Amino acid sequence: MFLKTLLSAAAALTLGAAAFAQTNTVAITNGELHMTSADGDVVMDGTILIRGGRIVGVGQDLDVPDSAEVIDAGGMPVTPGFFVSMSAIGLNEIGAVREANDQGTDNMALSAALDARDGYNADSSVIDVTRAGGITRAYTTPSAGGTLFGGCGMVISMERGFDAIVEPCAAQVATLGESAAGQTGGSRQGAMATFRRALEDAIAYDDDPEAYAASGAENRLSVEDASALVPAAMGDQLMMISVHGASDIRRVLELVERYDLDVVLVGATEAWRVADELAEAEVPVLINPLANLPQSFERMGATLTAAQKLSDAGVTVAFYDAGIGYTHNARLLPQLAGNAVANGMDYAAAMRAVTLTPAEMFGLGRSLGTLERGKLADVVIWDGDPFEVTSRPSRVFIEGEEKSLENRQSRLEERYKDLSRGDKPFQYRNR
Amino acid sequence: MMRLLLLGVGAVALAACGSEDETKSAYPDKDPFPSTYQPYPSENLIIVGATILTGTGEKIENGVVTVMNGEIASVGPAANIREPKGFTKIDATGKIITPGIIDLHSHLGVYPSPSNRSTSDGNEATSPNTAGVWAEHSIYPQDPGFGRALAGGVTSLHVMPGSANLFGGRTVTLKNVPSRTVQGMKFPDAPYGIKMACGENPKRVYASRGPATRMGNFKGYREAWIGAKAYKQEWDGYARKVADGEGGKAPSRDLSKETLAGVLDGDIIVHMHCYRGDEMVNVLDMAEEFGYKVGTFHHAIEAYKVADYLAENEVCAAVWADWWGFKFEAYDSVRANAALVANQPGGCVVIHSDDGVGIQRLNQEAAKAMADGRKIGIDFKPEEVITWITANPAKAAGIIDETGTLEAGKDADFVIWDTDPFSVYARPEQVYVDGALMFDREDTANQPVFDFELGQAGREDV
Repeated sequence: MFLKTLLSAAAALTLGAAAFAQTNTVAITNGELHMTSADGDVVMDGTILIRGGRIVGVGQDLDVPDSAEVIDAGGMPVTPGFFVSMSAIGLNEIGAVREANDQGTDNMALSAALDARDGYNADSSVIDVTRAGGITRAYTTPSAGGTLFGGCGMVISMERGFDAIVEPCAAQVATLGESAAGQTGGSRQGAMATFRRALEDAIAYDDDPEAYAASGAENRLSVEDASALVPAAMGDQLMMISVHGASDIRRVLELVERYDLDVVLVGATEAWRVADELAEAEVPVLINPLANLPQSFERMGATLTAAQKLSDAGVTVAFYDAGIGYTHNARLLPQLAGNAVANGMDYAAAMRAVTLTPAEMFGLGRSLGTLERGKLADVVIWDGDPFEVTSRPSRVFIEGEEKSLENRQSRLEERYKDLSRGDKPFQYRNR
Repeated sequence: MMRLLLLGVGAVALAACGSEDETKSAYPDKDPFPSTYQPYPSENLIIVGATILTGTGEKIENGVVTVMNGEIASVGPAANIREPKGFTKIDATGKIITPGIIDLHSHLGVYPSPSNRSTSDGNEATSPNTAGVWAEHSIYPQDPGFGRALAGGVTSLHVMPGSANLFGGRTVTLKNVPSRTVQGMKFPDAPYGIKMACGENPKRVYASRGPATRMGNFKGYREAWIGAKAYKQEWDGYARKVADGEGGKAPSRDLSKETLAGVLDGDIIVHMHCYRGDEMVNVLDMAEEFGYKVGTFHHAIEAYKVADYLAENEVCAAVWADWWGFKFEAYDSVRANAALVANQPGGCVVIHSDDGVGIQRLNQEAAKAMADGRKIGIDFKPEEVITWITANPAKAAGIIDETGTLEAGKDADFVIWDTDPFSVYARPEQVYVDGALMFDREDTANQPVFDFELGQAGREDV
């Protein structure tokens, strides 16, 4: 893992461009500062100084320049912007409206060659809604639907517009286990063999593209898919593999070893049962800490204590929700973290799982994920414990700029808060 | 809640009817699959020191609950309650006691774990009108989800067919106490409900044969009500003849019409899946047209747009705290929906799950809805908000006389929480149903293991 960190450092340097114009200093004072280090340190009564889109100072008793705009956090928690590790934000505006949902692809299309940038709606209403939940970054990706590979996703900043694409093609998405078996003849043997063959195809393509294109062999990856799969197959690009059962995870670990892949396991319901092996292999997991139903035979070990068990074993853990929390309620990431804590996970570890860990996963750990000096100023001031279900962000900054928390939902609330008939129809109000 | 009181009376009449000599009634047996639920043995308890949210809108600091013979004997401040002799004392200092949580919208048992084609029994999607199917005949009592919900403080739940059909079938209300049979879980004397569905789901499922549009949906409902009225008249006429000693041939039975006639009689409560506000108002007009009442609109994403209509018609809105965007009719969701509905004079809101994971944390869903109300200046207190997942679903399911609040004489269905249930960190320590300890977080002997999980690997949460 984290091979990518070096590769992405260059990309990280370009992130600050959007805030280039900002030269005045903003000082957030009197905050309970979380994640002031990679270890998750907390600084009480702390101050953050922001200039040029970056954090230029953090700690207690800082000198605040007279010219600074001072924002008193009132003793409330201040965190790095939360980072959603997996979603289809911008790809899925409305799940069941086919025309407004570009998340999934059937097996008539190409697979590894698909690129989230092509489906991205930079004006999705989900962006504003998610930002109002204290999320400042997200990984958004096509799903591996009718094929084993779904193409590459990207890291976005939680703002509208094409400038929000932070890191395109950050990872290839793939699936194994029960769902993959259903696509490859009905057995896991079929899925694994097909998966290995795809990796071999990519390697063969990389070795000699012209020979590969000329071979015309049936049942191989198309030239486009083989070409697109090369970085992941060579271990140069992250591969996010959806897999649940302990038996399947062991087989994936063998693949990781054999091909030297850079992998994150997604779903990973039974990962805690092979936690030591995952820690040893330095393979992170992306889990839903609430998934405790034995919904299938590959999820018999589903448990609320998975996050704690994995974390305690030294496995890198981040959170996601494959259900309604995947995209539209990606804003509920703090609730996932809070429940992980309620079920035994260390608070600082859970905080790290929603900030620095996803940043590192996508090679952005140097520029995001903590409140350390030099990082991009993605900062959220909360009105209570960020993990509490009754807490909400009161102010959100992305690269030092304060962002609106207004969104389609808040506009609708305002419009219908008073149901009296009024002088004009509702359609004329709060336009 | 006049209507619900009336329905409650109807339910009592139904029960009384069943206890009479069957040969005297001209009508078919209304309870052919009767509840065999029996409370498990319980001790007489006095629980002291806790903060109590009673479910009646009150909060009692340093309160005392006494339980006798499986029923609540008394609830009040410590100063007001004399300690009875021979009762087992539980010190709950620092803890919170609430009524047992009630989920008005569950598919546990009909869409159980494991989830596969063999176990998928929630939608009889073979005809737009399957009012004659009963959810209880699909319930898999070995669904481990019941146990997970119990660990989340759920003591009763209302299980429904899915929303593929205009008329999905009869619902069933359960005590969340494991049993070999569904009859062993059925909430004694709870009224039946019927699941109906508005909007996108039926028109999608039946696109090729109809209804394929919302207007097609309404034609389907109305024709069914017309048929049900005629059916009811036929049976009522026959019953009059029998009563008059004339006799005659009984009309032939139609299970779908029998359910709809039960709605027209006021015996069966209508639970209607309906997202859009304008559609809810259409339904209210239709109910007026055929002389029945809508009990609750479920998944009422746009309830906030018509909260005044709902309150005037004494209809509850059962909602998620914040789900949205999974289909077009769920696009206009707002986070303050529940608070906006509850804020209407006479407004009735229920927070429901519709989900085997969500049902385990309805307290958190209610907490979010409370906080989102506050964000726009609607400030409900925890003792009020707890009713959204206790008393209000009990009213909506027609079981408020038995459960849903902590009041003397009611079933002793309650939860002892380790901390404020409106905190993400709160978990039920103990869950009691009819005074019997059915879940204890500290004692695995008091945690159910369902057959499906027995002898399997990795069963951490069972």
